Amino acid sequence: MSTTEKNEAMNKNENTKKQVQAENKKEETKEKAAAALEDEEEDDDEEEVDTDKLFQHRESINMTPENTWFSKSVGGLISAKIINAEGVEEFFERVIIRRSFPITAPNEFLSVREPDTKKNGRGHEIGMIRDLGIFDKDTVDLLNAELEVRYFTPEITHIYSAKEKFGYTYMEAETSAGRIAMVLNSPFYNIRSLEDGRIIINDMDGNCFVIPDPKKLDRHSLKFIEVYI
Amino acid sequence: MKLFYDLPAADQAAYDARAVDEKLMYCVPFNMYEDRFVKGFTVVTDKHIYCILDGEIVTEVDLSRCTVFSTEVLYGNCAFYGVIDGITTLICRFQSARNLPRYSVLVNACESLALKLREHQAPGEPVTNDERERFCPKCNRPFIPGTAICPFCRDQKEVYRKLWGLTKGMRLMLLFPLFVSVISLAIQFVLPSIQKVAVNDYIANESIRPVSSLTDPHMRGFIAIFACIICIDLFQRAIGIVHSRIATITGSRSTMLLRTVVYEKIQSLSIASISRRATGDLIGRVLNDTIQVQHFLVNEMPNLFTQIFSFLLASVLLLFLNPLMALFVFIPIPLVIVAFKSINGKFTMLSRTVWKYNNRVNQVTQDIFDGMRIVKAFGNEDKAIKSYLDATDLASKHDEARGVWSNTFFALLTEVMRLGRYFIMFYGNYLLFEGLMDYGELHQFNAYSTILYNPLAYFTTLPNVLANLATSLGKVLEILEEPPEVDDIDLPIDIAIEGDISIRNVTFGYDTYNPVLENISVDIKKGEMIGIVGHSGSGKSTLINLIMRLYDVTEGEILIDDVNIKDISQNALRSQIGIVLQETFLFGGSIRDNIKYAKPYATDEEVIAAAKLANAHDFIVNLPEGYNTIIGEKGYSLSGGERQRVAIARALIHNPRILILDEATAALDTETEKLIQDAINKLTKDRTTFAIAHRLSTLRNADKLIVLDKGRLVEFGTHQELLALKGVYWRLVMAQRQGSGFKKKKAQKAEA
Repeated sequence: MSTTEKNEAMNKNENTKKQVQAENKKEETKEKAAAALEDEEEDDDEEEVDTDKLFQHRESINMTPENTWFSKSVGGLISAKIINAEGVEEFFERVIIRRSFPITAPNEFLSVREPDTKKNGRGHEIGMIRDLGIFDKDTVDLLNAELEVRYFTPEITHIYSAKEKFGYTYMEAETSAGRIAMVLNSPFYNIRSLEDGRIIINDMDGNCFVIPDPKKLDRHSLKFIEVYI
Repeated sequence: MKLFYDLPAADQAAYDARAVDEKLMYCVPFNMYEDRFVKGFTVVTDKHIYCILDGEIVTEVDLSRCTVFSTEVLYGNCAFYGVIDGITTLICRFQSARNLPRYSVLVNACESLALKLREHQAPGEPVTNDERERFCPKCNRPFIPGTAICPFCRDQKEVYRKLWGLTKGMRLMLLFPLFVSVISLAIQFVLPSIQKVAVNDYIANESIRPVSSLTDPHMRGFIAIFACIICIDLFQRAIGIVHSRIATITGSRSTMLLRTVVYEKIQSLSIASISRRATGDLIGRVLNDTIQVQHFLVNEMPNLFTQIFSFLLASVLLLFLNPLMALFVFIPIPLVIVAFKSINGKFTMLSRTVWKYNNRVNQVTQDIFDGMRIVKAFGNEDKAIKSYLDATDLASKHDEARGVWSNTFFALLTEVMRLGRYFIMFYGNYLLFEGLMDYGELHQFNAYSTILYNPLAYFTTLPNVLANLATSLGKVLEILEEPPEVDDIDLPIDIAIEGDISIRNVTFGYDTYNPVLENISVDIKKGEMIGIVGHSGSGKSTLINLIMRLYDVTEGEILIDDVNIKDISQNALRSQIGIVLQETFLFGGSIRDNIKYAKPYATDEEVIAAAKLANAHDFIVNLPEGYNTIIGEKGYSLSGGERQRVAIARALIHNPRILILDEATAALDTETEKLIQDAINKLTKDRTTFAIAHRLSTLRNADKLIVLDKGRLVEFGTHQELLALKGVYWRLVMAQRQGSGFKKKKAQKAEA
């Protein structure tokens, strides 16, 4: 089966499931309405309504290769098919993958979520990948490619110049994503050195950069950032 | 905000080749493609979206197949998505700070274009947006945050001209320090000449010895010269004292003048332009930036003049005394400048590192003291001690390093500055031995060469001083030059408000691309109590802000007694509106002063009457100092409910026709709420009242309710009418009842 066919099949599956859910919801609302009406009539009397239903959350699953299959969506993003907590197969045309610990454990505790939308607000967590390593290589590559876009952190390989003027630091650097001119606002706060020796730099444009090992940087480049670390 | 960039030639060619017979609507940059930074452009026409990169179209989206667009903030970049045939697709990625506002506009623009395309309507004209740019259009560097000033592209002459304009009212005052500096400088130059006479004619003059008595004419002459030197010295000291006194006085007065100007201007600005800036930023501008400007005017400017002047004068005098020897003095100048610059640069860096670690110590200390209860509760004293010790350890290590370094290198620097003296010593003594120069001249020369070197150190720090001035001055000037957005019309009307309010087709957004209220229309009769209900973020407080005219509506109009509020003077309008907010802000001072805030000449009877209306009188009288109790940071601390009631009394003192209660009782317990609710019930009589509340029970006395949902007015009517509708309001009521029911059930269970 090609991806498209698969998707279609899954879509159908999803649609039927949605219908079921919708019907369930309808019934719930009816019940609620009835309960509320009663309440109106008796006014201050107590009523039996399950508050949890007002704030429905999906149960997040522990994602393993046995219950989750990722694929590239038609739109170039990530789709996922899962077997949910109730044992029902579900398909998501697009999922969002977030790192719980982007700095200390980038490949563990990945939160797989429904996208946030204007209509439905914040998306719920579908499941969590405890360790990306348990998936096969294709999946790992697919997810890593997505994560690299989502956590766009080019490596700084060389610093051409860094000038301090007007209270800002203007820096020219070569990065793994090409040469860039960055402006840092209060470099003492925006150049952070981590415990493992890495250096993370946030500039005023909203870019993030990393220097994995400042000791490996050439003398000329190191001179500019030495004072901040 | 710029939504239409010019395409580079290659990109334009690619566009022309692909897009035939299309109307170009928007063109904005995108900054990332795959794994690299790029300079690409996203072009939106009436039919397509093209992403063009280096003369090649990398992405093409057919608008007619799209429905929804969205942006998402990722880490280190942002993404622009479109839903094509029901499938979300990544269109391009861009830098958040630079382009997120642009793409937010594009999201709405593209959605409306797609809709028009599906319904076969004309695309219309591109929307414009007057949001401010945060990056310099010329050099692409960011503006100074919160301003529209590019430190690189700004016209420096213009800045100094404006500085001159700013000194209005204190120019004469500023001349004093300058004048005194010139006098003290002149003395500095006279002194070596007299010393020369003393040395040549008396000290080194062998022929007049031995001197037998004090009446000897030579001795008298020497005493005269000596007295002269002492007098000049004393005079110089006196001038020095006068100078510092004058500098202090002019300093504090000009600071006061500057601060008053800036502060008055900030008060006249609209809430919109004030809330665009952080409070800290405004305080910084009033306090720090004005000090910087003042410091330059009073201290740096006279200093600058005297330093330049003394450098030039010393050079001329040295050349005049002995041109060749003067050259020897000049030779080390470049060396001194280079040495000073590098040593000073390194020292600044070291000092900042020390500052950083000291700051960390402060932070750790503050954290631990603030969180003392938590530290104790979790039994983490050892950890707290350790983190403090680690921080102080680092700070003291860096401080030591700086001390050791600076004591070594600044000593060396002094040595470098002495280089010229060594030259003089050698060459001067040679001339002395040869009889080409006398002792006095040599001494004079030495003195002038010292004078020459002092300004050098100053000149190397000058760029820094000027840059700081330019930044601070820029921030001050920007405030002063900002036009007030909400402005009275030329002939505003002062009306006595009755209280009829009608809101007609009002649309408003804090950012123009993101409307918070859309097409609100409602008529309110005088004396009605109106409850405003809705989820958080539905625009409740915004509606209130518009009625108070803290902001001007984007579209539509608000009428009070059939007069557009834009025609009513702001003073008249606000003096007839009373407001009580959830976050009660009381000024430092007595309770009496606080209640009288809106009506400074209120009598004590009026104060008591207002306090009684607000159910505050009883607790105030029971305070040890009654109405004179000082409240605020260093005074008596009132409870939340008490503060709230004082605030209500404050709102009532001038008997407002319109009363606004913005979540006035949300933070209080039920009992206090009851007290305040009673107060409110008393005071809403005959007044048009708006009450915002999350707790719907608070609104049970409201005549009518406005229900807002996502910026739209969805329901309007009485409690009973809205319940019968079974719409948004009904759901809100149900949710709250169930919530409280749930709580009660839990409590019952716990009891059982």
